[in-house]
Amino acid sequence: MNLRWYHFALWAAFIGGMYLIPEIVSRGTMRTMIQACYLAMFAISWDVLSGRTGYVSFGHPFLIGIGAYATAILSKKMGLPVSLSIPLAVLITMLGGLVVLLPALRIKGSYFALVTLAYMELMYQLVQVIRPDLTGGTRGLSGIKTLTRGAENGYMLAVTLMLIVALGAWLLMRTRLGTALYAVGMNEESVRGSGLSTTRLKAVAFLVSAAIAGLAGAFWVHYNGSLAPRNLFDINFVFTIIVAALIGGAGTIVGPIIGAFFLTFLLEYLRPWLPGAERYLVYGGVALLLYMYQPHGLYQLIQHGWARLRGQKA
Amino acid sequence: MLQILIQGLLLSGLYAIIAMGFTLIFSVGRVLNLAYGAYLLIGGYTYFYISQQLGLPKFAGVLMAGIVGAFMGVLKYQLLVRRLQGVHSAVEIGTLILAVVLQSAVILIFGDSSKILLPIVPGVERVAGAAIPYSNLVAAILSWAILIGLYFFVRMTHTGRAMQAVSMGAKGAAISGIDATRINMITWGISGALGAIGGVFFASYTQLYPSMWVAPLIIAVAVVIVGGIGSILGTLIVAHLIGFMEIIVSTWNPELRGVFTMLLIIGVLILRPQGLFGREEIH
Repeated sequence: MNLRWYHFALWAAFIGGMYLIPEIVSRGTMRTMIQACYLAMFAISWDVLSGRTGYVSFGHPFLIGIGAYATAILSKKMGLPVSLSIPLAVLITMLGGLVVLLPALRIKGSYFALVTLAYMELMYQLVQVIRPDLTGGTRGLSGIKTLTRGAENGYMLAVTLMLIVALGAWLLMRTRLGTALYAVGMNEESVRGSGLSTTRLKAVAFLVSAAIAGLAGAFWVHYNGSLAPRNLFDINFVFTIIVAALIGGAGTIVGPIIGAFFLTFLLEYLRPWLPGAERYLVYGGVALLLYMYQPHGLYQLIQHGWARLRGQKA
Repeated sequence: MLQILIQGLLLSGLYAIIAMGFTLIFSVGRVLNLAYGAYLLIGGYTYFYISQQLGLPKFAGVLMAGIVGAFMGVLKYQLLVRRLQGVHSAVEIGTLILAVVLQSAVILIFGDSSKILLPIVPGVERVAGAAIPYSNLVAAILSWAILIGLYFFVRMTHTGRAMQAVSMGAKGAAISGIDATRINMITWGISGALGAIGGVFFASYTQLYPSMWVAPLIIAVAVVIVGGIGSILGTLIVAHLIGFMEIIVSTWNPELRGVFTMLLIIGVLILRPQGLFGREEIH
């Protein structure tokens, strides 16, 4: 796995820093950070699937939605305890991941992106029509049990989850499996040529991505206490997830986290000037410029800056 | 029965024109242009601004929508797509971001609430118990006229044949002395104009609101993919297939209207990625 001492040092500093933040910032900022943590998990989940294997998913809310709806329905309508409904939701989402894997066995590129978009739209319409007594139809569900009270506890939970997910994904990507997943993204044929089963590799990537999406989606619903299909299966949500991963730096773990925090705070600081959906104008403009001129994201920008500081050629 | 037939024909004409603009880009530029939906949005709002806020003639509104759409298309090609050329996922993501930006620009200018377009041509004709607004009839007839014109343009003119050549292979086209950049620009312009005019019709068929572009975009994609890339005839046939399917399903259960369309896309893409009438797959 090729771990060095500075890996441990950086992770320890990062984890310590995240846990010290409640001592410094206000409640309002902490609420923003909670959303940023969840967005970071969604972005990591997207990145495990799309940033590595190159199968760009435009329907990630499909997976997040399965996790969110599963735990909401299980705990609210079926009366299961949350400690049971969340693990079940993760398992159900992993099944959903297999559904997304199905087209990836035959098609790739633009076609795959479209199928995932269609999955999201299908889910959006089905949720409103099939058993509205369970899913809450167009209005969605509210009054879902929340796990924490107060901004501080919510932050601790969100940050712990995010750190577990990030560290887990980081370790996984440093194994030979992670290297193979990268290779699938670069050239699938040559991976197959080296005697590896790309089907199995893709299955792993999709399952891991779905598990993270399900976990984050489920806890997110139990933090918010409600869910509405129009906000969940929304093109703006897809956009936010993808842009978070890309702005930060696709194919890394820290990148999506940086991107998620950057975007959430950008969106939040724009609120006084532009209260409504117009914020996405500035937000999208920033994203587009960054994406066009720095396609590898902020993470690489930081790395180059660091290299310059140490006197190396960037 | 007659009602279904008439309504199906009207809706299908609309879908055909929207899908046609999309398939042009997909086959010539080899690019999945997710911002295509934004042309519909901009066309609809341009028409609304010109003919309902400025009070100019409606025809001028449609024309202006087409011009603005074409301009947008060329601009997008020059500023965005050419820079990201070669990386498909980059273009897809770039155009998706652009679509969201344009949508919020529309919200900033016109507000979030939905607008109702006055019919392009007022009046209703009754045929066998089915009410047909003249407006929809005109939209369908215009769509057909544009489609037929486009067919002959692509088949008969030098520029049209050059477009076909670029869609078959950019390198071969370049060897035969075709300037691929110019052809691409023309294609993006035509596609933008078609999308914007389709947007005017679509908005007068339903309503004008900032997120109206997502559903027709997915339908356009569905039509193009199920029909097969680069097949104008396939696009026409499948536009009618989906149009009629939606009308029939919605007489049975209006809520399930979109579900079958999505299932059709997913099913065809998984089972037959080259589409029903397509000649190849695009990666």
